[in-house]
Amino acid sequence: MPPISIPRKPLKLIDRVSAINWNRLEDEKDLEVWDRLTGNFWLPEKVPVSNDIPSWQKMSEDEHVLTMHVFTGLTLLDTIQGTVGAVSLIPDALTPHEEAVYTNIAFMESVHAKSYSSIFSTLCSTKEIDAAFDWSENNEFLQKKAQIVLDYYEGDNPYKRKVASTLLESFLFYSGFYLPMYFSAHAKLTNTADVIRLIIRDEAVHGYYIGYKYQKGIERLTDAEREELREYTYDLLNELYDNEVDYTESLYERVGLTDDVEKFLRYNGNKALMNLGYPALFPAEACDVNPAILAALSPNADENHDFFSGSGSSYVMGKAEETDDEDWDF
Amino acid sequence: MSAFDATELPLDNTADTATEQYDPAHDYHALNAMLNLYDADGRIQFDKDKAAEREYVTGHVAANTVKFDGTAERLEYLTGNQYYDPAVFAQYSPEFLDRFYARAAASGFEFGTFLGAFKFYTSYALKTFDGKRYLEDFPQRCAAVALELAAGDEGEAVRFLDAMISGEFQPATPTFLNLGKAQRGEPVSCFLVRIEDNMESISRGINAALQLSKRGGGVALLLSNLRELGAPIKHIENQSSGVIPVMKLLEDSFSYANQLGARQGAGAVYLNAHHPDILRFLDTKRENADEKIRIKSLALGVVIPDVTFELAKRKAPMALFSPYDVERVYGKPFADISVTEHYDEMVADDRIRKTYIDAREFFTTLAEIQFESGYPYIVFEDTVNRANPIEGRVTMSNLCSEILQVQEASEYNEDLTYSHVGRDVSCNLGSLNIAKAMDAGLASTVETAIRALTAVAEHTRIDAVPSIRRANDEGHAIGLGQMNLHGFLAREGIQYGSEEGLDFTDMYFMTVAYHAYRASHALAVEKGRAFASFPSSAYAKPAGEGNYFDKYTDGRRSLEPCTERVRELFAKFGVAIPTADDWKALQAEIIRDGIYNQNLQAVPPTGSISYINHSTSSIHPIASKIEIRKEGKIGRVYYPAAYMTNDNLDYYRDAYEIGWKAIVDTYAEATQHVDQGLSLTLFFPDTATTRDLNKAQIYAWRKGIKTLYYIRIRQQALAGTEVQGCVSCML
Repeated sequence: MPPISIPRKPLKLIDRVSAINWNRLEDEKDLEVWDRLTGNFWLPEKVPVSNDIPSWQKMSEDEHVLTMHVFTGLTLLDTIQGTVGAVSLIPDALTPHEEAVYTNIAFMESVHAKSYSSIFSTLCSTKEIDAAFDWSENNEFLQKKAQIVLDYYEGDNPYKRKVASTLLESFLFYSGFYLPMYFSAHAKLTNTADVIRLIIRDEAVHGYYIGYKYQKGIERLTDAEREELREYTYDLLNELYDNEVDYTESLYERVGLTDDVEKFLRYNGNKALMNLGYPALFPAEACDVNPAILAALSPNADENHDFFSGSGSSYVMGKAEETDDEDWDF
Repeated sequence: MSAFDATELPLDNTADTATEQYDPAHDYHALNAMLNLYDADGRIQFDKDKAAEREYVTGHVAANTVKFDGTAERLEYLTGNQYYDPAVFAQYSPEFLDRFYARAAASGFEFGTFLGAFKFYTSYALKTFDGKRYLEDFPQRCAAVALELAAGDEGEAVRFLDAMISGEFQPATPTFLNLGKAQRGEPVSCFLVRIEDNMESISRGINAALQLSKRGGGVALLLSNLRELGAPIKHIENQSSGVIPVMKLLEDSFSYANQLGARQGAGAVYLNAHHPDILRFLDTKRENADEKIRIKSLALGVVIPDVTFELAKRKAPMALFSPYDVERVYGKPFADISVTEHYDEMVADDRIRKTYIDAREFFTTLAEIQFESGYPYIVFEDTVNRANPIEGRVTMSNLCSEILQVQEASEYNEDLTYSHVGRDVSCNLGSLNIAKAMDAGLASTVETAIRALTAVAEHTRIDAVPSIRRANDEGHAIGLGQMNLHGFLAREGIQYGSEEGLDFTDMYFMTVAYHAYRASHALAVEKGRAFASFPSSAYAKPAGEGNYFDKYTDGRRSLEPCTERVRELFAKFGVAIPTADDWKALQAEIIRDGIYNQNLQAVPPTGSISYINHSTSSIHPIASKIEIRKEGKIGRVYYPAAYMTNDNLDYYRDAYEIGWKAIVDTYAEATQHVDQGLSLTLFFPDTATTRDLNKAQIYAWRKGIKTLYYIRIRQQALAGTEVQGCVSCML
């Protein structure tokens, strides 16, 4: 990823560290989410993306360019979230366990960022990859999106950081996620879609958790402070949404999917607000996403597959538990 | 093997209109996806799926189908242009073919679901060589298959045709896909090959993996006989690198032979639990395994003898025996020794090198790997061999864990030619739709199916692997399967796994077995010979002296339904349950004349064919009310369970709700009547631990289950992150 050409301010780190005791939980949610995230651990090598090569070769030039632009955009967001975003939330953590969860989130975001590279290197040539990264450097809407989020990560208000982070996890990724879901619903790049679905599975939990921590955090604030944050959230969402609409058009206009992607943006904007504990902004009728996309999104691990179709997105790390004599009583 | 879902040589290059132009009203993908979303009243939108099917068939398919003026013109074109095999059609008169195709067309066939139609046209239907136009519909595919199977017998051709179009009998993918075509793969695609502990045999094993993958087959290979890591080579210690490098070679062979890029080859390897490499073997499936040893696409199976369970029960250490030493001490390969019988003897024998692991920890590790990867499959070796009626030893299973047949080692010269051709396994399968077969009275459907499957065995000649050719020539083994058990039970208002459900399963499988043996006996009489090893089989033993059928004739079990509901059900469909006298009469005839098929039944997992047929898979419970199916060539498609409506949803509890115990109980009922195996997948929520998996495995072993197939884990979305209104997200 070429560096984003904005001067970086040093990130604040936590002031003191005490040994974390997982046997004394202050918030059960930390352990629940930790277990979920570690159980969901995966690496991109698990998915046989190379099975998508025949499908990739049958796709048009426009579709190739679109796919690569979308994925470089996602790479940028995941890089921000992995190296800056999740890390910047650590000093604001309410419990030591929350800090541990953020380190996991940060690491998985880096795994996500690497996944796109692994998809690229499987499907495209170095020249094409470089061209796509150049494009991402020069797309004003993408750069603006990165700038807005980065500014809040570097700001002083911990709640605003969480809002920005939740909007990133639950809203900003989805203009990109739309495409692989759309392709997979139409029998294209289905293994790539498996990778993306694994990413979505993680992002869904990240957005939910950060939003939850935001809601816990603002319980301590005064009504006036809460009101300010509420207004701020809607303002930021609106600002990001306007930019996102432009970004979407710059990507999808050529293939005629802009309207449908925008519905999807609104649908996810509402979900992000829900994660933050706020009512929806966009009316339901403006969010009637193509059902094939909606159904493809389901983060559940219940799809059926066989040995010819790739490993799917369903396996999890198991919990070991010893058997006892009663189990062997025969 | 019917779960070989993608035996798809002809690529579908028709223009997918729904992709090119996004138009919600005519986008069959979007209509189909609405099946997975509740309507405003919280009801499942079955009508949307039917609309998707109609949109697809009458729109996309009709627009892309080549039209002909009549049967004669159509067949002339297809046989004249290398689409159909002219020899198949030359066996029949033009008048008969006219009537035959008119009969097929008059069936008024429609697919039950969008997925059924989509799967058929993308993967099975004959297409023009450029892949742009369809040349067949479903009845025409059935007709071509029936004509080749019947080999000129008009009556037989009509019976095969009717059984397929009505959905009573569905041949497995390789048969249904290939027959009648001029450019085609093999009609069977399930192979099992032994590997012995020498380089020639390993080379032959790799050759089999390449050759059989090229022909569209899934191949399982036995690794139990290979010497372990660190074993001597030419008496020099610490030389062998064990089974893992052989697995790597096989995995690469399977991905190389990829059928014109249509799909990768698929393979499985089996290893005995008491092989010293067993933990390394399992670790190849770990998520964080080193790339050098990680096995991604090869399926694993572990062969577990009874003694392993006994050791775990006693908390005793578990001895792993060097196959190299065992072969030298006993004079035969490790896999041909019963570890249970010789365990103490081998432990006491100093000539056999041993390492020890903890038996209970072995089971924990097994379950951990199953969580992460779904593998390994398990073969309960002693259960399988006790139930095996054929002389010889069963040492492994196949890619779907339902084939269980005896094999015999081959021996090679240095130039890789055979000094002794042993016996390996090919198996062709086909399944009855239980609901449709019951509707049709069962007896004649079973006979038709046995005859169709036997015809496939007779037309098969796998020259690339002589040991497979020999066993097929001598044994004509087939595997009659079953599907739609859950769909049938739900249609009749019976819960899967209930007392009545178990009772039906028992009675149904016994009745099927009776008619299958009756048909195989009739074939032996017609052809004037039984399978080659019949005289030494349990079928030939005198009645009452260990004859295979004694269990039905000596009064040890009741042959009648134990519930009134099941008695009524059989009466309602006019299906007679065989009595002890029926069995005695059949037993006497079989002792006299033999049966034609060395093996008759095997219940595969049924993937694609159950979608085309609109059945629930195999005899499993449904995985989900609306199943999300992901296949390489199709993408995500949604599939409703057979016979499900908004009014009978209570009978469609899914496998996770039903739980492993009811599934094992159901399979245990069926297992008693099946000479080979049944693919049994166990389903767990992600709250399960390795202990729960172990408990299920112990229970299955104790209930007399022969093999276990995949372990499937379902993870529910974290509360708060699910997609609203999604059918498959609901518990």
